Amino acid sequence: MSVTGDWNEEANELNAIVASFDEGEVSVDDLFAKLERATAIIEALEARLETTKARVEELAPRIARVADDE
Amino acid sequence: MASVESSTGEPVLEVGEFYELLTAQLESAYGRRHPRWVRGEVAKVYEKSHLYVDLVDAGSSASDAKRPVLNAHCWASQWNPLKRKLAADGVTLAPGAVVNLFGYVDLYAPQGRIGFTVTEIDVAGLLGDVARRRQELIARLAGEGLLEANKRVPVPAVPLRVGLVASPQTEGYSDFTGQLLNSGYGFEIVLVATAVQGDAAPAQIVRAIEDLDRHGVDIICVVRGGGSKGDLACFDDERVARAIATSSTAVFTGIGHTGDESIADLVAHTRAITPTKLGEEIVTVVANWYETNVRQSARRLLDASGALLDEASEYVAERRRTLIFAVRDRLRAEQRHLSGVRQRLWLHSRHTLESATRSLASSRQLLSAYDPARRLAQGWSIVTGADGQVVARLAQVHSGELITVRVSDGSFASTVEEMKGAP
Repeated sequence: MSVTGDWNEEANELNAIVASFDEGEVSVDDLFAKLERATAIIEALEARLETTKARVEELAPRIARVADDE
Repeated sequence: MASVESSTGEPVLEVGEFYELLTAQLESAYGRRHPRWVRGEVAKVYEKSHLYVDLVDAGSSASDAKRPVLNAHCWASQWNPLKRKLAADGVTLAPGAVVNLFGYVDLYAPQGRIGFTVTEIDVAGLLGDVARRRQELIARLAGEGLLEANKRVPVPAVPLRVGLVASPQTEGYSDFTGQLLNSGYGFEIVLVATAVQGDAAPAQIVRAIEDLDRHGVDIICVVRGGGSKGDLACFDDERVARAIATSSTAVFTGIGHTGDESIADLVAHTRAITPTKLGEEIVTVVANWYETNVRQSARRLLDASGALLDEASEYVAERRRTLIFAVRDRLRAEQRHLSGVRQRLWLHSRHTLESATRSLASSRQLLSAYDPARRLAQGWSIVTGADGQVVARLAQVHSGELITVRVSDGSFASTVEEMKGAP
């Protein structure tokens, strides 16, 4: 199950799935498919987040050198 | 020399004798031992080791062929120390200057000219004149709006490209450039070297300012270390003041002085009291910009990145928790629904079974009334013919037929002997 949209796009789809659960709109037949899709989105978002964090960690010392330069 | 008499018997002097007599007379009244002050306006001035000045009455017209002229001169031995003194006070003997000269009369016979040998110049009088002309220039510049003109020129937020008008061999130059080049910021200095004192300086400074203005630098700095009033006189020059005031680039001055600020300072966009101070101020402008726009931005960027990532992490974690709870809730709801259905089905089934049981018991009870065994016990019997069929009518048997009679506790055989119809 591919997750290729941007962060907001994926987050909106995830929000919609959670909302459908909250409102009791999910049938038992659809439940597994929706849960599987939501799980895939969450894992994709987390992976993207980890990648971004790692990149920020690489850049942070360089920015910090500018911020702390006396 | 032979004595000569005129036709009237009066002595006749040779030219030389006449000048000797005249010289003696003049010296006795106005000579070296009787020096006097003479006041006048400089009409012409010429210097070649010695100083030569033509002095006229102040305010007299040059077209007046009869105006008196005093041909004054100051020999080098006197002029050199006087020149240094004048220079130190920023005074220049120029045409138009009204000056008091102290000296004595001499007569130069070969040219038949009366001269005036200067031994002293009244600096105080000249200074007053300089101050007056200075104030007049300031008033003129103010009247034309030139004192504020350059101050209205916008300065780039980060003035890194600095046009410099200075003399590279001076301390002022080193002090100023040292501040910029040692600041750690990427200043680019575009130097136009000029004299910063002397008669040639104003024209060179004007040309330098105009060149740099066309060159497209961020600011133009005019710097010069400290010096006497005379050294700094070029910065009171009207041409310099006008060049600064009309420059389309902001002009900063760092001209060392301890007394009045120069007119260049007055018309400049920004002025500092020394080249070092000017360098410091420019570095401070850049440093403040760097602090506000780079360092603070970097700190905000770091904080914002961290906050954004934390927020995103919290969002994903919250969605994960919410989803898990939502799915559990949904499954539990389905389980509760199925459980309810199951319970209702069980109750309904039990009810149905009980109804059936009750109905069956009732039927059984009803049927028991028709049980043949009960009839047989009451004395009733069941007769079956030879063919095994229950005999319910006479027509089913005939006389002599062997029949079987069943009673409550068994059966016995019998033979039909007589047949009678029901009455």
